[in-house]
Formats: sequence, structure tokens, C-alpha cells
Amino acid sequence: MNTIWRKAFRDFWQERARTALVVLAIALGISAFAAILSSYAILTRELDQGYLATNPASAVLRVDSADDDLIKAILENPEVSDAEPRRTISGQIKAGPVQWRNLILFVVHDYGNIRVSKLVPESGAWPPATGEILIERDAFQVAKANIGDAVIVKTANGVEQPLVISGRVHDVGQAQARMENIVYGYINLATLAQLGEEPRLNQINLLVAKNRFDEAHIKHVVSDVEALIKSRGHDVLRVDIPRPGKHPHSDLTGVMLLAMSSFGLFVLVLSGILVINLLTAMMASQVRQIGVMKAIGGTHWQIMRIYFVQALFLGIAALIVSVPLGVLGSRALCRSMAVFLNFDINSFAVPFWVYLLVALIGIAAPLIAAGYPIWRGTATPVRVALSDFGLSQTNFGASVFDRAVARIGGTFSLIALAIRNSFRRRARLVLTLLTLTAGGLFFMAALNVRSSMINTLDHVFAARKSDLTVSLARVYEVEKIQKAVSNTPGVSRAEGWFTTEASHDDLRLAIVALPPDTQLLEFDIIDGRKLTAGDTDAIVINNALAGRDPKMRVGESVTLRIDSDEKTWRIVGLAREAFSPTPIGYIPLTGPVNRLGLALENTDPDSISALRAELDRNLEQQGVRARASSTKSESRFAFDQHMLMIYVFLIVTSAIVGGVGGLGLMTTMSLNVLERRREMGVMRALGATPRLIWLMIVAEGIVIGLLSWTIAALLAWPISKAIGDFLVQVMFRSRLDFTFEPLGLVIWLLVSIGLSGLASFLPAWNASRTTVREALAYE
Amino acid sequence: MISLHQVNKTYETPAGKFAALKDVDLEIEPGQFVGIVGKSGSGKSTLLNLVAGIDRPSAGSVAVAGTEIQSLSENKLAAWRGRNVGFVFQFFQLLPTLTAAENVMLPMDFSKSVPLRERRKRAVALLERVGVGAHADKLPATLSGGEQQRVAIARALANEPPLVLADEPTGNLDSVTATEILDLFRSMANQGTTVVIATHEADIARVIDRRIEISDGEIHPQITQMFK
Repeated sequence: MNTIWRKAFRDFWQERARTALVVLAIALGISAFAAILSSYAILTRELDQGYLATNPASAVLRVDSADDDLIKAILENPEVSDAEPRRTISGQIKAGPVQWRNLILFVVHDYGNIRVSKLVPESGAWPPATGEILIERDAFQVAKANIGDAVIVKTANGVEQPLVISGRVHDVGQAQARMENIVYGYINLATLAQLGEEPRLNQINLLVAKNRFDEAHIKHVVSDVEALIKSRGHDVLRVDIPRPGKHPHSDLTGVMLLAMSSFGLFVLVLSGILVINLLTAMMASQVRQIGVMKAIGGTHWQIMRIYFVQALFLGIAALIVSVPLGVLGSRALCRSMAVFLNFDINSFAVPFWVYLLVALIGIAAPLIAAGYPIWRGTATPVRVALSDFGLSQTNFGASVFDRAVARIGGTFSLIALAIRNSFRRRARLVLTLLTLTAGGLFFMAALNVRSSMINTLDHVFAARKSDLTVSLARVYEVEKIQKAVSNTPGVSRAEGWFTTEASHDDLRLAIVALPPDTQLLEFDIIDGRKLTAGDTDAIVINNALAGRDPKMRVGESVTLRIDSDEKTWRIVGLAREAFSPTPIGYIPLTGPVNRLGLALENTDPDSISALRAELDRNLEQQGVRARASSTKSESRFAFDQHMLMIYVFLIVTSAIVGGVGGLGLMTTMSLNVLERRREMGVMRALGATPRLIWLMIVAEGIVIGLLSWTIAALLAWPISKAIGDFLVQVMFRSRLDFTFEPLGLVIWLLVSIGLSGLASFLPAWNASRTTVREALAYE
Repeated sequence: MISLHQVNKTYETPAGKFAALKDVDLEIEPGQFVGIVGKSGSGKSTLLNLVAGIDRPSAGSVAVAGTEIQSLSENKLAAWRGRNVGFVFQFFQLLPTLTAAENVMLPMDFSKSVPLRERRKRAVALLERVGVGAHADKLPATLSGGEQQRVAIARALANEPPLVLADEPTGNLDSVTATEILDLFRSMANQGTTVVIATHEADIARVIDRRIEISDGEIHPQITQMFK
């Protein structure tokens, strides 16, 4: 190793304490980035692999009935690899005396021979016997029951039937039961008969033979199968073709993690700022050595190389620390996401490309950050460099700004010194403020975004006046329902609605028919008007629907197919529905209803439970069967869980960014103290005590902390809004009703003071312990 | 070896322009040991800097070892300096994180004039020549002033330059050590190296071949003496 490399390493080692701070800051940034990138690679792989292992259906066809002959006929198509009949039926389940929970029952023909969309038995019975039900593992919390418990199950047409929970399964392709607040249950045909339903299957899970990831090919095969089914006298009621080879949540997970990665990169950029600070100071302290090297024959590039090698050491040292941290972090993140998304991770192996990318960025980032300080520091002319006396001097007081600052602080010398000393190295101050301010901005953004999400959700749920919504088994005349409702005390208002699905070209949307003068839904009209009495072909669309088709605008007409009927509607209004990705069109109610919305006098959980039970009985007496029901608070809970994820992410990011900022301040204070060592020796010689020196430095650190808080406070509103809108747009394709949380200002003020005091403590302590002789002799 | 013709050097300062050298004409033959004597601020360091290419004249020409150095770019000048000039500073200016031997090897690493495997051997030999061979692997902070200056001289000789310039090399040394250092320069000159030393040392005449007096940026030829 030649002397150039030796100098690079030993200079690096000589400043090891300060270098360690910068290495730590870079490592924080790389760890965060590595953890998130690894998680992205692992989760998208495991999600899709786990999903593919279940042999997911290429298409799901809902038919009138799927008997063995029909299945056999479908299987004769060489393009079809497999076809399995099933049934999906909604109902309700009750474990315990009071509350019914929404239930989706999956009826499987032969549990011993599931080949498509496989289930994974986890514990208990397999298959379920007659009179038994298996529960999806994520749904136990919703059902509030355990294996072995007796539960009551009822379906739309059937009777209440006691069943025993006999086992637990994992159904990879289902949405998380906790988020949907729904129980997934699995029974056999005989149990279905016990529930009073006709023991027939009406769903075909189809698997194509070839090109399973080619959506166009799948559609082509499905089209043939549809034609076959119809030719055999059956009806095809609905066809769903999921995205081939991709878990339903794969895209959302990927987008979320990529959004998080961008924040990880941001932290890395901030730590690059610390590299600039450190190397600028290092170059300043090496000016004379640079002059000597040039005098003895070193070219500009040869000398730059020495310091680039040091920047390289920084990157390598940071990588050594951060890669294991990043791997650990990614495991924690993957585990929590796996629980959240209800899937299993079989391997935490991080792909090689992640290591390569992290290594490249970890090495490139400090090199790029070091570029300007090194180029500038080594460009000093030889004569100027040789006549530099140690660390470069500053001329405070020459500029208008300096003189203005000099007037701050009054006669209290400690405060005056703290303020004026903060501004002596303005470039370094600006760089330090960047990192500290970023920490404050993220923290305040976390609180502001949380408040905004709560505010937005409050607005959303305030517009929904129904405290309880009941889905009916089929359509009923309004009069029957009105009688049941009027016999149920505690209902302040009830409305019947009709909900169905419609299609417009390839777009599928929900249709809600309601009274034009509805009192149970307050539209947030952003263009046009709401429905009025007398409307016959008017439709109000929501922003999710408008976003899917640019032609859907107020004033335009749209032709919708509902079942087999087509009708043209006039778009009269556009309603904003935050956090609602479902495209919905609202039309005037003209016929029977299948949904009941109720505003209640008492909305505490016990009152609602009692009312639900009473209403059920009254509806049954009128011959009306409820299929499912949900309360406003149950719906709100699911949203709150999603919001919690965003909030926790922002808080963790602010802690990391704040940590980088604190390290940056510590580096800055130690450099400031080093440069003014002789000055402090003079102060000590004039009578300043070590305690005063300590106080002066800590005060300077706190001044910097307060400056960063001030800047963060001024920028908090627009930055928080931008971050909140970005995250919500990525996850929900919506925007926030922004609200500012003043508590964030107060908390961050206290944190700023604490963090800056802490960051200054050690440099101040070291400075106060230096003897007068050492300080005066320092060059 | 060294030829300065109508060289002027003017600096811009907050107090206005300062003429550090005025119309300097100077010729130094190869192998001479020349002492440039003058008070502080007389321009002797500036003169040395111009000869070394560390600074550029405001006017006039500087030719050293047959090269008009003011026309070279910075990088070419640095490379030229590495091979042709050895520089000794008043405050030694050893790199603090390199050992004595490594400081001597540094110019060889820059110029690549000596094969890699030979560099350490040559460095140790040079250190022995100047009397500090035993300290080859010590860091500068552990050496005395005189020892450090010897190491600096060895460094100046690393690439066997035809010219060695020394700016007040004894300014930071006690008188006994100063004498020893001057004797070292004398021995270098005896071996054919051109040595130019800027000093206000009183007994410089003892070792030099020629004395050049400079004051207020001007060389006074009438008081330039030849001793040999």
C-alpha cells in the first residue's frame, strides 16, 4: 500500500470520534433504505409465491348452478386445466349471546381434493364434518371465538343453526378479515343444507392450461367456457378475472414500500449533508498539508484521490454497520406486514440485487457528497495553502449580516456569545439546520397528517348519517320494512336503498339507488348538484368513478348496464368521497330496496347490539331476512387501522431523521469547539470558569436547535400537507382535509431543545476540561 | 540552472497593491550554494516561491533547469516540481500521520520516478544520509525539531532533484542544530546539487558559495558577494 493510501487511512483514524458520528448518520440512512428495499423484495416475492402456491383460479364464474356434468363438460376444453365448483354465500355468525357478525361462507365440494385456490389447514379438523365450520385464521379475532366453541350461523334464506368451530385454515387470497371486519367460514354441502340453504354449488373456479399469466388469453378461454355454460342452459351471472399471478394486495404493498423507500433515500441525502460538513471542515484543517503535497510534486487529482479514499472509507464503514441493521429492520418490517396482510413468509432471503444496490448507493452517496468540498479544498493555490495557519480563520463582523447579528444578545454575554458564535460558520450552520429542520418537519408532519386523517374521516363519517346499515337477503317492498322499523324502538330515522352493480364498457361500478331527498347521506358536491325530487335519469358520480373515465363529467351522459338492462343516465353531479376507491353512481330510488340505513337515538355498543337483535326479530316477523349488518364505528375501525400504519411510519421516519439531525449537530459542535480552542483558552485566561465555557457551548447548540425549530414551524403547514397528500394519494387515490396540530409545535420545541442540548453536551464537556495551556498552545 | 529576467510580483491586499519583487534579474549556476539574505518582508520567500513554481510572477520570466515554468499548467508544474525541485520549509511541514520514511517516500509516490519496491529502501538510505535513519518508522510528533528538519531534507532529496530550495530552514531551530542543518546543505551542494537557501542566519557565509542581499523586493548586486 503506498503512502497515499496510508495517509488516507490514518487521517480517517485520527478523526475517528467525529468520523464515527458521520458514519453513524450515513449508516442510519443506509439502514432505513436497505430495510425498506429488502422488505419490498421479500414481500413482493413471498406474497406472490405464497399466492401462486395455492394454485389460484384464473377466473371465477358465478353461475345459476354448477353440477358435475357441467364441470365435466368444461374440463373437456383442452385450454382448461381444471375447474372446481364452490359456493360463496353471505350470512351472519354469533359467538356468545349478543352480537351478530358479518360472515362469508365458502362451501367446498371436496375438501380432500381442492386443486384450485387451495386452502391451508392450520389446526383442528380437516375436512370439517357436517355441523362444523372452519374459520380463517385472521377472522378469529372478528368472530371472538375459538376452536371448539359453539356458534350460531344464519344465512339469507336459511335458519339459525348451531355449528361448532372445528378448525383453523389459512386462505391466502382473501382480504384481511380484521380490516374488513368480516368472518370467513368454510363448510361442506351437508352443513349448507343444515343451514336451510339449497345444497347446490354455483361458482366455478377455473384454471387455464397454458399462459396462466396472460390476461388476454385467460379472457379468451373464459369467453369459450361462458359460451359452453350458456349452451347447456345455464346462466352466467358474473365473471371475475383476478390479476394473473399477483396476490390481490401485491400492488398496494409494493407501492407502499416504494413510497417508504423514497423516504429512506431522503434520510440518506440528509446524511450526505453531514458528509459535506465533515469533509469541508477536514479539508479546512488540511489546507497546509495540501499545500505541502503540491509543493513536493502532488498534482490536484493525486491529492483529491487521498480524500476521496477517505470518503470511500466512510461509505464502507457505514455499510458494515448498516447492512446487518437493515436486514434486521427488514425482518421486523416483513413480519409486521405479514401479520397485517395475513400471509406467511417462508424465506427472509434478501436477493443479491438488493445488496448490490445498497452497496452502490452506500458507497456512491458519501463520494458524491464529498465531491464539492474535496474539489474546493484541494484547489487552493500552493502559496495560499502554505501560508494558512491551521484551521482557516473567519472574519466575523465584516458583513452587514454579521453586524446585525452582533446587535443580538444585549448585554448578557453568554446569550450574545451563543447567538453570535452560531453564525460564525454560516455554511456549516445552514447544512446543520437542514438536517435538524428535516427531523422537525417529519415529526410535525406525522402529527399533522394524523390530525388531518382523523379530520377527513370525521367529515366522511359525519356525512354518513346511518349508525347501522343492514343488507337484506333480497329485494323487498319498502312498506314491509317500514313496519318492522316502526316496531323497533330507538330508531330516529330509517331509509331503504337499493344497491347493485353495473358496468360501463370494461368498468365495473357500484350503483346506489336512494331517495333523492335522503337524510342519511350528505353529498360533498364539488361540481353540479345532488339528486332532486323529479329526477328520473339523473346520476351523481363520486370522484373515484370520475377518475376512472375522463368522459365521466357533469353534463355528460353515460350508458350503464345493470344485469341485462341498459340505460343512459345524465351526470348531474360529482361528489367527493375521501378514502373511497370504489367507483359509485347514485341514482333516484324507484322500486324495492335491499338495504336499510338507520339513524339511532343511542349509539353506544350495547344499545346498538340490543337494537340489532330487536330489529332482526321484527324483520323476520315481516318475512324480511337480513344478510349482514354493520355499524358506523365498525366501518370506522377499519379505516383507523390503515391510518395507524401511515402514522407509525411517519413517526419512525421522524425519529430516524431527527437522529441524523442530532448527529449532525454533534459533529458541528465538535468542529466549532475545535476551531475555537485557542479562543476558549484566552477566555479561561481572562477568568472564565470551565462551567461557563460548558454553558456557552451548550447554549450555542440550543440556539441552533431553536433556529431549526423556527424554520420547521414556518414550513410545517405546507410540507405536512404535501407529505399527507402524497401518502394518501398513493394508498387511497384520495386527498386529505388538512388540519394543523399545534401540539406538534410544542412537542418539537421541547425535543429540539433537549436534542440540541444533548448533542452539545459532549463537545462542551471536552472543551471545559481542556487546560488553559493546552488551549493556548493549540494551532 | 536558474534564470530570472525582469521578474515582478505584486499582491493585492485590502490596503492596496504591494510589490513584493521589483524588476529582479538573477542568474544562478548549477551546483552553486546560494544564500538569499534579507529582513522579514524583504521578498526572499517570494523569490523562492517563484523559483519553485509555487507562485507565478506578475511580470517577467522564470526559467529553471531549462524550463520556462510560468507557462506550465498547475498540474504540470506540480509534476515538474516533484522531479526537479526539493523544497524545505521553515516549519518542517511533515505530514503528521505519516512516519519519517513514509514522508520521504511521498514525493516518490507522486512522481513515480522510483520503482515501487525500491522506494522504502531509498527512503531509509536518505534518512541515514541525513543522520536520522534510526527514526525511520517514527511519527513526526515523536521527533525533535532538528530531527524533523533532517527528515524534511531527506524528503527534499527523494527524487534526486537538481535543485533544492530551503525557506528559512533553521528559523525554528536552536543554534547548534541550525549549524548541523546548514552543514547538511553544504554536503548536498558538494555533491553537485544546486542549493538556494533564504535565511537571515548570521553565520550563513560559512557554508555558502554566494550571498545575494535582497531588501524591499529588490536585489542589490553591489552587495552580492561571492565566497568561493
